[in-house]
Amino acid sequence: MLTINALKQLGCNTDEGLSRCMGNEAFYFKLIGRVVDDKNFQALEDAVAAKDFDAAFEAAHSLKGVLGNLALTPIYEPVYELTELLRERKDIDYSEYLKTISEKRSELAGLLV
Amino acid sequence: MKRSTDLYVDGKRNILVADDEMINRELLNNILCDEYDVLMAEDGEMAYDVIKKNRNTLSLILLDLMMPKLNGLDLLSRLKEDPDLKGIPVIVLTSDQASEVESLVRGAADFIPKPYPQPDVIRARISRSIELAEDRQIISATERDELTGLYSYEYFSRYAEQFDKYHPNSDMDALCLDVNHFHIVNERFGMAKGDEILRKIAGCLLTVFSSSDSVICRKNADTFLVYCTHRDDYTLITDKVSEVCCDMPTSVKLRIGVYSSCDKKLDVRARFDRAKIAADLIRNNYSVFISTFDETLMENELFADQLVDEFPKALAEKQFKVFFQPKFNIEGDKPVLSSAEALVRWFHPTLGMISPGKFIPLFEEDGLISQLDEYIWRCAAETIADWKMRLGISVPVSVNLSRAEMYDPALVDTFEKITSETGTTAKDIYLEITESAYVRDGDQIVDRVKELRDHGFFIEMDDFGSGYSSLNMISELPIDALKLDMMFIRNAFDKQNDTRMISIVIDIADYLGVPVIAEGVETEEQYLALKKLGCTIIQGYYFSKPVPAEEFEKFLVEKDA
Repeated sequence: MLTINALKQLGCNTDEGLSRCMGNEAFYFKLIGRVVDDKNFQALEDAVAAKDFDAAFEAAHSLKGVLGNLALTPIYEPVYELTELLRERKDIDYSEYLKTISEKRSELAGLLV
Repeated sequence: MKRSTDLYVDGKRNILVADDEMINRELLNNILCDEYDVLMAEDGEMAYDVIKKNRNTLSLILLDLMMPKLNGLDLLSRLKEDPDLKGIPVIVLTSDQASEVESLVRGAADFIPKPYPQPDVIRARISRSIELAEDRQIISATERDELTGLYSYEYFSRYAEQFDKYHPNSDMDALCLDVNHFHIVNERFGMAKGDEILRKIAGCLLTVFSSSDSVICRKNADTFLVYCTHRDDYTLITDKVSEVCCDMPTSVKLRIGVYSSCDKKLDVRARFDRAKIAADLIRNNYSVFISTFDETLMENELFADQLVDEFPKALAEKQFKVFFQPKFNIEGDKPVLSSAEALVRWFHPTLGMISPGKFIPLFEEDGLISQLDEYIWRCAAETIADWKMRLGISVPVSVNLSRAEMYDPALVDTFEKITSETGTTAKDIYLEITESAYVRDGDQIVDRVKELRDHGFFIEMDDFGSGYSSLNMISELPIDALKLDMMFIRNAFDKQNDTRMISIVIDIADYLGVPVIAEGVETEEQYLALKKLGCTIIQGYYFSKPVPAEEFEKFLVEKDA
């Protein structure tokens, strides 16, 4: 179940996230529910697979902003690192990053059911 | 002096959040919605549209830099290049430090980093940017009219739109007010007196309208605009203004054009255009002081505009046709064709036949009339030449001249050119010059008419009896015929069958030794009466309406037989 404690256990900075939601827990949870389904996760994987680094950067950058605002630290951190590499359009193997992101996203999604 | 911030006392300011991520928009909306009305845009193009549409009510823009369609930095540059939009402060939302500097260089007021700082910090930054921008407007100072303390026109539409935002369901009127013949007040009593009157009017408006239900400005000179909740009657204002100005050296009459219960889908400026159209209707009327706009006025204006716009095309495509109405000499036992008058008709491809009464006055106003007249003169001359060639017969054709053309020093040259190019002579063309043309600048007009006459043209004074000719000068006028104003015929036969005025005019013509032409003759009774009175020539539906050249030929053939 999605609770503040469960988010904390995953490593999210819920104090920060909640304060951006003016302390409104229900609103915070609603937005978390949305970000888990963000189409940019898929867009990022597809763009990396196609070596379209411009598109990959855009998707990563968008995710970074949203995840940062909701203070979902365990996903935010790998997305942040990935974004900085993609900003340089580095043609390297991103699979480890994508794997971590996917795992952390699944963990978060697990709380929603 | 009131500060512009007073406007926001009872309502929230508008803020635009432009960000392609819905979660970011929702977060900001949640933080700001208590204090502001938040508009949203999810890409750059949409943001630009919202900004343009709300340019007068938007207090601030929160702008994400990476957006589809039009990115934030490009949008920022576009805003700063537009004089209407550059005053709206923009705060850039960005996670990249490099972009922060770039944004400021391009004119952003501030930036907010991502992830967002504490809500308090966001709100404080927004409120500070708005305050700075509004203070800057106050410093630029044209918000108020110095003379009256009312709003200046530049800011008026902003405030009117702001008013609509806070009172979306109010039934509103747009008023355009000015003072009858104000320039004469300044002229006679000096600017200081004029200014005093304007201040009194402004004071009066402020007592009649409260700031909670109206926005008032002085547009320029003696024109005031009022945007206010609907009222059925505005005579209170005209009365009150006359009353407070009763100690002035001249009576002050306010004139009001009202566009009642505005259509709010119209731009504020368009609403006041309508009030102005209504006001213009009573411009030279000294008994009516309030005039209300109705849709037919707008249709008339639009129709007039359309006719003027389409004139060049119509001329090039020969949509104007010249018709001929016969004139008969009735001195003998049987009426004999003596001449014809050329009259124009406009066959418009979509509007059908348009009466000259609708377009001639417009073209006279716009100065297009000389092009049209010259076209008609030439057509008439070509037709005469054609009749001469094919039928071996012709009659003189009279054409009309407008007052403005009488000032043209090349007028005689124009006619000479037309006659020589068409193979006609001065004897073939009669010139109808309306009596009222002689009234102003009489000497100059008389000289021009003499010049035409010296070149052999036959001059008919048209509409005689309508233009207040001085009887004193008539004997000196260079004319060859008097054409009775149609009103003489109408009045003489309408009610009491009183033809004495016609007798007098015929006596005048006899004294001058010129024939009298009566037009607008419709019945046998009129024809017989005019014949008895000694009228020489008759034109009118009794004989024939104006007809196309081909149809006119039957009169020529008849005469020849």
